Amino acid sequence: MKISSSQMFRNLSKWSLKALALVVFAGAFSVNAQEADEASAESSINGEALFGSKCATCHHPLKDGTGPKLKGVKAAWAENSKIEGGIYNWINNWQNAAATDAYAAEVAAKKPTAMDKFPALTVPEMDAILAYVDAFEDDGDGPAGEEVCQVPVEEEGTSWVWYILGIVFVVIILAIGGVKRQLRVAAGEASEKEDREHSYADSFRGWAWRYKRYVMIGSVVIFISLIVTLFLRMYRIAVVEDYQPSQPIEFPHNVHAGINGIDCKYCHNSVTESRTAGLPTVNVCMNCHKQVTGESDEQKAKIAKIYAAAGWDAEKGVYTGKTKPIVWNKVHVLPDHVYFNHSQHVEVGGVDCIQCHGDMTTMCETAKVQPVSVLNAIEGNVKLTKPTLTMGWCIECHGEKEISTGAVNTNGSAYYEEIHKRLMLDKDLYNKYLEDGKVTVKELGGWECAKCHY
Amino acid sequence: MKLRLVGGMMLASVTLMLGSCVSDSDSAGLEYMPDMYRSAAIEPYVDYGEVKGRENVELKMTQSALTPPNGTIPYYGTNEEAVSVMLPWSILPNIAFKQTHGLKGVEFTTEDTYNTSAAALTENPLEMEFMTEKNEEGEYSATNLTLKRGKKLYEANCMHCHGAEGDGKGPMMKNGTFNGVPNYADKKALSDGQLFYSIYYGKGAMGSHASIVNKKEIWSLVHYIRKIQYSDYDNASKEAAIAKASGLPVVKEQSDVEVMGGEGDEVHHEELSTESIKH
Repeated sequence: MKISSSQMFRNLSKWSLKALALVVFAGAFSVNAQEADEASAESSINGEALFGSKCATCHHPLKDGTGPKLKGVKAAWAENSKIEGGIYNWINNWQNAAATDAYAAEVAAKKPTAMDKFPALTVPEMDAILAYVDAFEDDGDGPAGEEVCQVPVEEEGTSWVWYILGIVFVVIILAIGGVKRQLRVAAGEASEKEDREHSYADSFRGWAWRYKRYVMIGSVVIFISLIVTLFLRMYRIAVVEDYQPSQPIEFPHNVHAGINGIDCKYCHNSVTESRTAGLPTVNVCMNCHKQVTGESDEQKAKIAKIYAAAGWDAEKGVYTGKTKPIVWNKVHVLPDHVYFNHSQHVEVGGVDCIQCHGDMTTMCETAKVQPVSVLNAIEGNVKLTKPTLTMGWCIECHGEKEISTGAVNTNGSAYYEEIHKRLMLDKDLYNKYLEDGKVTVKELGGWECAKCHY
Repeated sequence: MKLRLVGGMMLASVTLMLGSCVSDSDSAGLEYMPDMYRSAAIEPYVDYGEVKGRENVELKMTQSALTPPNGTIPYYGTNEEAVSVMLPWSILPNIAFKQTHGLKGVEFTTEDTYNTSAAALTENPLEMEFMTEKNEEGEYSATNLTLKRGKKLYEANCMHCHGAEGDGKGPMMKNGTFNGVPNYADKKALSDGQLFYSIYYGKGAMGSHASIVNKKEIWSLVHYIRKIQYSDYDNASKEAAIAKASGLPVVKEQSDVEVMGGEGDEVHHEELSTESIKH
């Protein structure tokens, strides 16, 4: 078969076309395969976990924190950066990126904090992180602390009802008296003039004289009950139960100590070292509230007061240095002639805060002096009868609270161990103090006047 | 007319009585002798614009808790080793911290002290304290007092964010109040000095905790964090303490009999002296 050159050429070109197509196809396939490989490699990289371990300390996908929010940064870099893959350079070493890339330099000026460098992160890893960030959606679950405070409504209406009833009775009696007089006047028994002379006082005097024996007994009863009431009222003087001063910021203890599980000692941190438990300085508030800005308007307004006090500009995310104090009102105030030491009770004696201050994890109002009935209702508390923060209350507890050698954190001081030892050695003395079968604070000198009054 | 007057007066007196019975939660109530209740000396958290009924407008509603002057060194006893831990830290925070962490009363530097040798090469200067005990069979056991203290501090100051296991999943993290707390297991590369720096000056979202825990306490916390990272962290020093205790003539029983203030054995004595320095 003779094939003309032209035909041969045609065939050749056909083959070559076919071959070219094949090569292109194969190439395309291999590219596809490569992409598929990359995709599968990418999916095996857990962007969420990487974000959590590398970025989340400073960045949030949707919120500005120490670093800016990350959702959409990939697109922003692709749009603004002149260098291809500029964002990868930035993550690997932001300082080098800022030196070469104008946009990177611009980004570097945004936040005062220098970002960490992540030279070990590969491009697929960074892609996985950015993919996770871009796909991040707010799940709508607001942070805790949203729970509405359920303040138990106390029924205080009863006393008011009695007062109103009393007023009604007085009015009725007066009305009847008035009607009676009007009737007498109308019946002509007494003239108007005569009636004026016979005032209420006159008629009362006449009535009292007639029933003098009963009136005397009655007045003695009234006198004694007045004296008793007076004494009862005087017993309530300097009793500060239920004292709940209003505060510049209505601090919800239940959110902080309850829901968020923050230890009392985090904010009242001088309690183990000092006489006073201490109120946190604003920088302690800012340790969390730099990030926690509040969900509801009420929370935001409260937190704005912290920002104002700390001099924190929430918009720019910088401290301005213009601070002003929050003036809290002291709740548990002891008279000056009493010495009380928190560290002695909390650190040495190992008394839980709950014993005197009640369960603050459920307290949604501002702090208050809890009545002794509330304190007694708490499990594990020493049960007391005298009103909170009175001397009777203190010494009652000193007489009840058992101290075993292990319970006292002597903190290197041999004082209490020595007292225990001497009590144990001197059996006569020991038995004298140990009538109730336990060593209490009283036996260690807790009832000495000079322990608290000097 | 008279009737109305009397009625009105009674009504008024009843209303007054009622008014006096309503409790005001803002008032602490009556005091017997206010001049014995209110201190003339400065007390914490008291409004000094109003002392003993006298008002001082300049002082009224002003700050009462103030930071000590710059460079103040508190007295921590005479034990050289313990005092050296409490002296001002030589590594200064970066100038950026002024804006991001609002530090007051500290000097700043323009250098990146966190990542450079300054903090990164610093080692924990606080030696761990052990209490050794001898049981009936003559075997020694040691309790690490520093870690015990560190654990207490950790539970009070760190746990709500960093979690009891140090995995960054404290209660605040779990309920979504806060996010982005690292797992200590991921941060093994950090040096002791960098951990101290982060607690002392703050790092990222974390604020400075220098006002809450003192330097000795921070170093104990650093020990405790290391213990979380490496469960065998204190094994070597514990063995050393036991060896030291068993090598020495232990006179713990003697010190029990002695009146307080008497000299105990050496280990015991050390314990006392270092303890008494804590504030």
